[in-house]
Amino acid sequence: MNKKAIISAFEDIILSLKVLAKEKESVRRKLVTTAAKLAATAEKLAITAKEKESVRRKLVITAEEKEDVRRRLAITAEKLKKSYETLEQKVLERTKDLEMSRAKEKAILLSIGDGLLVTDEKRNIIIINKTAEKLLGVKSQEVVGKSFFEAVLLVDEKGVSIPSDKYPIKMNTTGIASTVAGTTYYCLRKDKTKFPMAITATPVLLGGKVIGTIIIFRDVTNERDVDKAKTEFVSLASHQLRTPLSAVNWYAEMLLAGDVGELNEKQKKYLDEVYRSNQRMVELVNALLDVSSLELGTFVIEPESTNVIELIQSVIDEQMPQINGKKILMSFLFEKDISLMRVDPKHLRMVVQNILSNAVKYTHDGGDIKIEVSSPEKKNILLKISDNGYGIPKNQQDKIFTKLFRADNVRGKDTDGTGLGLYIVKSIVENSGGKVWFESFRDKESKGTTFYVKFPLNSGMSIPIKNN
Amino acid sequence: MIKKPVKQKTILVIEDERPLLEAINAKLEKNGFSVIGARSVEQAFGVELGKKGMGAITIQNIEQALKYLEDLEHVDAIWLDHHLLGNEDGLDFVKKFKANGGRWGKIPVFVVSNAASPKTIKSYAESGVNKYYVKSNHRLDEIVEDIKLSLR
Repeated sequence: MNKKAIISAFEDIILSLKVLAKEKESVRRKLVTTAAKLAATAEKLAITAKEKESVRRKLVITAEEKEDVRRRLAITAEKLKKSYETLEQKVLERTKDLEMSRAKEKAILLSIGDGLLVTDEKRNIIIINKTAEKLLGVKSQEVVGKSFFEAVLLVDEKGVSIPSDKYPIKMNTTGIASTVAGTTYYCLRKDKTKFPMAITATPVLLGGKVIGTIIIFRDVTNERDVDKAKTEFVSLASHQLRTPLSAVNWYAEMLLAGDVGELNEKQKKYLDEVYRSNQRMVELVNALLDVSSLELGTFVIEPESTNVIELIQSVIDEQMPQINGKKILMSFLFEKDISLMRVDPKHLRMVVQNILSNAVKYTHDGGDIKIEVSSPEKKNILLKISDNGYGIPKNQQDKIFTKLFRADNVRGKDTDGTGLGLYIVKSIVENSGGKVWFESFRDKESKGTTFYVKFPLNSGMSIPIKNN
Repeated sequence: MIKKPVKQKTILVIEDERPLLEAINAKLEKNGFSVIGARSVEQAFGVELGKKGMGAITIQNIEQALKYLEDLEHVDAIWLDHHLLGNEDGLDFVKKFKANGGRWGKIPVFVVSNAASPKTIKSYAESGVNKYYVKSNHRLDEIVEDIKLSLR
């Protein structure tokens, strides 16, 4: 072999070796890189594993928590169950109580001795009690849900139907809170019988709104009968008592007038006593009948257009014999424009009669009596009746309106009062919504009594009359 | 002494109480009236013409009663009580009396009664009677005087 060849071979080998070396280096490098990559991957894996572990741990915790919650829930559920049971028990008890109290209330309502109807705002009946059923002659199921007007037929005394717009209930469903009571109604039952009914309708208000009406009513037949009996008693008593008095009066009158022959002085004197005593009896009976009609509650105010001046004048005329007999100076003054006024003439007459006859009785011969009439604001009649008579003792002034009271200073005198006059006056005036008062003096300079009566006009109306 | 002849006026007195009826009769006659008395509405319508005192004729029906009164042309005034014998009272009388076609409308009626309830007095006033007297509160001569005045 030649050296050159050998060298060349060497050189080839070296080159190959170099290439190999390079390749090796490259592989090594690649290996290193791969190793690095592997390391990185390993790291990543490690991290993931850690995360997983963390998640697992969390999951464990969550599970624990869940278990905890479940347990708590279980406890709560148990508690709830228990409290629910108690609640149910309580509700049951309460319901029972409520039912009991409702039943009680209903029983109370239904057992009210007067007839009771409750309607809704449309006036349909929702409740009817036993008394109402009995009074109306119906059963609850027949009328509940029906209109009040259908269930309760109101008629007047003659049996003429009262139109529904005149029913007392009407005014109460308009939203105005008011109670209406009327006694002029009769109720017509299904069997066509009727009874007088006192009825009171009151709106039921809830939060200021009318949600219905309560109607209370009762049969007033008994009250009517009692009233009638009282009135009949007064009327019968007045007739029975007055008839013999009239006979004594008239026969004594004719004897005194000499109709059947002249009487001697003594006979005249005796008979005069009979006559005068009888007159007192008449007066007493009249006063007692007035008192009983006032006290029996048969006092009814019947206002009518009244010529007050004429009325007072006629009372004065009636008492003229006594006034002239005592030579009393009578004066009557009145405002020119005193009109026809709406008052109850018989009451005004009784008031004037009593006060004037007192003035005449308790004034000396030759005294003065003055009647003055005015009408302040056209709302009242103001009467002023004054005398310059005996006067009323100061210490007895508070008693003079008492029944059968007569003042000391007149009891001794020869006067024939009944002790009822001023009691009657006060009863009438106060029952009519008026006022009576007086001033009385017994001094040397001013002596006498002045009575004032304020008599209300029963309606604001006054019609002027022509002045003759 | 010669009295001037005057035509006697006739008063029909309807009053149930005998003593009162007698007193009224006496007083009216004393004052120159001729008096026909009755104690019930039936009698008032049934009194015989010209018969004084109490006519006691029973009549069968209202028409007959009215016929009697129709014949009583010389009644000048009526004195009437409220309570009377029988079922009818003074108001019933006034109603029948006034209802007769106004024939007796001008005959004055004076009610003299002790039935002094305001309701009764009002009913009479509305029925058109001339005056209402509460019997015990008035003297006979007072009422007679009023009747005389109304007949002048």
